[in-house]
Amino acid sequence: MNHLAYLDAGSGSLIVQAVVGGVAGVAVAAKLYWRRLVDRFRRQPTDQR
Amino acid sequence: MAISHTDLRPEPGSFRDPANRVFHAGDDVLRGLDARAAEEWRTLAGTEFFAALLAAGKVCGTEPADPALLPAGAGWTAALRHERIPFVSHPYEWSFSMLRDAALLHLEILRTALPAGFTTKDGSAYNLQWRGVEPVFIDVGSFTPARDGEPWAGYRQFCQTLLYPLLLGAHLGLDFQPWLRARVDGLDADQMRRLFGGARRLRPGVLTHVHLHGAMQSRHADTSTADTRDRLRAAGYSRELGLATVRGLEKLVRRLDPPGTASHWSAYQRTCGYSAGDRAAKEAFVAGALAATPHARLVLDLGANDGRYARLAARHAEYVVAVEQDPAVVDELYRALRAEGERRVLPLVMDLADPSPGGGWRSVERAGFADRAAADVVLALAVVHHLAIGRNVPLPEVVDFLAGLCAPGARIVVEFVHPDDPMARRLLANKPDGLFPDYRRDAFERLLGARGRIERRLELPSGTRTLYAVVVGG
Repeated sequence: MNHLAYLDAGSGSLIVQAVVGGVAGVAVAAKLYWRRLVDRFRRQPTDQR
Repeated sequence: MAISHTDLRPEPGSFRDPANRVFHAGDDVLRGLDARAAEEWRTLAGTEFFAALLAAGKVCGTEPADPALLPAGAGWTAALRHERIPFVSHPYEWSFSMLRDAALLHLEILRTALPAGFTTKDGSAYNLQWRGVEPVFIDVGSFTPARDGEPWAGYRQFCQTLLYPLLLGAHLGLDFQPWLRARVDGLDADQMRRLFGGARRLRPGVLTHVHLHGAMQSRHADTSTADTRDRLRAAGYSRELGLATVRGLEKLVRRLDPPGTASHWSAYQRTCGYSAGDRAAKEAFVAGALAATPHARLVLDLGANDGRYARLAARHAEYVVAVEQDPAVVDELYRALRAEGERRVLPLVMDLADPSPGGGWRSVERAGFADRAAADVVLALAVVHHLAIGRNVPLPEVVDFLAGLCAPGARIVVEFVHPDDPMARRLLANKPDGLFPDYRRDAFERLLGARGRIERRLELPSGTRTLYAVVVGG
């Protein structure tokens, strides 16, 4: 349970904060998207089985 | 022993976070906290940053109170007592610079809270109120321990209710007030993207906070925030990054300048043609009426313009709300009052022919202007003709409106501009002849007499304006 979240912070609004945080933020965003990409490719072979 | 209040009234605007709720009991403002919020409050109360914010008056005065004062059986394990805000106002009644200063205070509070391990649950413009021209953060229930690796939950709300309205003003020269008044949750990124097409994308803050933000919202509309938080944490989102975002927002907001248009009303005081004799007589009359109302808690100055009479009223009353229709004039007044160090005048943007209605949930979440106003003195100087001739409001309704803003036994100081006055003639010239046969001094006096006792009257030396001091119901 997340006590913070009485408010729907919005996923897009959370992610964009990584980008607006400057160079370090862009690195976090890049990592986030890289992981999503890797996850997608990893998942694909199992999906096809 | 605790004294229970029998007139305990839940604040209609405080239901959104179930962990705490604000109640009014007479002049007392109380906040109930559930078990978890109570525990968080105890941690918060021991922090240096919170003590410093309280001491600086940036957060509203807060002290522990007896939970027995709150409704029993509702799960409130702790209670707080807050400082009373002299007049509650809404962001759509603020001028550009007021909204900007409110936004900057919200960001400053977040910037000082984050290094101490705290954050705010939300980022709403409604977290802020005013003590004169000083913004105050009122939502003490919003403070909560920050969790590492999580961006600010209030960012979207901050954009919608603070940043986007400021971008409208600074970059497009639009008045943001009608947008905020129409939408309790503020403007959304999608709507903003449509307003900021083409080269406007390149204006400060637009590409990231509007376009990228909007694109991310549509792209991740189906992703849960819990999932997103986990992923961001795993990708290395840090508290430092959160701080950098807040600093970036502060830098952006500081760069946003008010729309700079010289409006009709800002020249009004200079061009409206009072002779020195008229002005001196009017000031003496108003000062006399104010002095006859000692210990006035609230004076409403309707049609405040450059704030001359609001400042005069501040010498006699605890608090003055200066209402003016033109956002540019209110902005100028706000900045002047801040520069002077005048702390008892709150300037607000409002059209008297269209006062703020109730808004939000069931139209009571944000109280309408008439429901908030219970003034000890109402100043209506050179406004009646604008309503009665300029806006066709029947004269009896104008008088009823003024009386409706009064606390019992209050005084109305009202100026009647005769039909042959140059300003009235200018307004009448735009309407067909004979449209307002009842716009006469004797008719006006009769209306005043029916609603109160005319205590004093004074015809100004020029002979085309009369001032009245009326004790309502007296």
